[in-house]
Amino acid sequence: MSDDPREFFTINGIDRRDFLIRGSGIISAALLAACNSRGPKAADRLLEYAERKNRGVEAALFRHRSMDVVQAGAHEAGNKLPSYFISPTVPVWDESARGKWALEVNGLVGNPVRLTLDDLHRLPQVSNRVNHYCVEGWTAVETWTGVPFAELARFVRADPSARFVDFQSFDDDYHESWDIESAMHRQTVVAYGLDGTLLEPAHGAPARVYSPVKLGYKNTKYLTKIVFMPQMNGGYWSDQGYEWYGGV
Amino acid sequence: MTLMAAPYPPALTEDPTPQVEPRSSPRKRHHWIVRVTHWVNFIAIVIMVGSGLRIFNAYPAFARKGEVFCCYPFEHKPIPSWLTFGYWLGGARHWHFAMMWVLVVNGLVYLTFIYLHGEWRDLVPRKGDIRDSWQMVKFYAFRRKDHPHQGKHNALQKGAYFALPIAAALAVLTGIAIWKPVQLSWLTALFGGYVWARYWHFIAMLLIVILSVIHVFMVFAVDPYSITSMITGNYDPGLSPEARNARPFYHIFPPRRPPAPPAPPLQSPPPAETA
Repeated sequence: MSDDPREFFTINGIDRRDFLIRGSGIISAALLAACNSRGPKAADRLLEYAERKNRGVEAALFRHRSMDVVQAGAHEAGNKLPSYFISPTVPVWDESARGKWALEVNGLVGNPVRLTLDDLHRLPQVSNRVNHYCVEGWTAVETWTGVPFAELARFVRADPSARFVDFQSFDDDYHESWDIESAMHRQTVVAYGLDGTLLEPAHGAPARVYSPVKLGYKNTKYLTKIVFMPQMNGGYWSDQGYEWYGGV
Repeated sequence: MTLMAAPYPPALTEDPTPQVEPRSSPRKRHHWIVRVTHWVNFIAIVIMVGSGLRIFNAYPAFARKGEVFCCYPFEHKPIPSWLTFGYWLGGARHWHFAMMWVLVVNGLVYLTFIYLHGEWRDLVPRKGDIRDSWQMVKFYAFRRKDHPHQGKHNALQKGAYFALPIAAALAVLTGIAIWKPVQLSWLTALFGGYVWARYWHFIAMLLIVILSVIHVFMVFAVDPYSITSMITGNYDPGLSPEARNARPFYHIFPPRRPPAPPAPPLQSPPPAETA
């Protein structure tokens, strides 16, 4: 034992009071530095790795028989359903400039087609009262009317080698590609009706894809083209860093 | 081998009669698995809470569109951004969905370890814990003079450490329920549907934050020596809050060694007797 009475209280020359002050200072500084930050750049590759792995987990959890069920007593959102698009103004199909609107369905299919809105109406029709799951965390109950995607795939004789589908639009370059399984889910529709009326431009007229098995941003509005593909094709929000799979 | 109770050899001292009671020797308090999972958990919880709050701020409310929500007083009021982590919704989601695996795996390692190794005995509630908790409250409120006798943890502490894994399990399950409300709709239904599952997820987060804040406060206020013990594993029972009779911010430090008493003055040898 040394004669320094402080020795009793010190570790490496730091007494406990110093230790507490320094320790809490270091911890607070680290936490403050983390505030609202993106996190360390070095973590980006780990996060990308995790997203790829989570894609596999989400695909493994996917079941065709799992259905979205609207809770008893839930109200329809009606005009409270948020509307959004990436163009500066509501995208409206200009018939005088672009001719009559038609939905092209092609790619790995035996029977590529161009479907007018009338053609879509003649295909088998369903109405699904389902939840809308937004990536932001809100949900909205709506009834979507349209052609089940699986019927459309049968109609164009989609090739089994088509593992992905790209939904493209006339809302600038907006598009999102999906795994084929989610597209073939029974609640996935190419919708032209919302709550019993024809789709309005605010919600993707003349037709959009709608499914509760994907987050809102995966459900391309203002459809122009559906392409069956052998590989994925990213998407407007997926390319900006949101999850590509975006399953629900 | 017992890592819990192996005392270090007593410190050698050259002074056979120390002027103060020697400190009791440090003991191994936390197994390395407990220490590693504790700090991994600390990082995981900070990132999960921060990124979760950033995600929440994209829609800082619980109501389904077109409805109102009964039970949250701050609907549509965002969380201050300095409390959030991840900078933007997509980034925060990546952190959240990556760190969730760390949180879950780390939690399972911890729970499996304490189950197999016996530490769960220090944490599960027992008969008398409520009475002991009340005694701790009385002690902290200066309604009781001496620190109640305790085992590894005091009764209040035990309650907190037992509640935390339960709150964490609730957070994980409600989290899965709002991640996969269609594919795992049975789980979402168990929590009352998506809107309520999201609410319970928020409440579970609040519970974890409250328990953690109290935990960190109490560590600094009554048992700062436990910080070292959660790093090195060693703890000196002589410095425990019970031994120091420590209340928050009272007797954090043991009494200082009293100054050495002045040496007795030299005495001149007794005069030689003359015959």
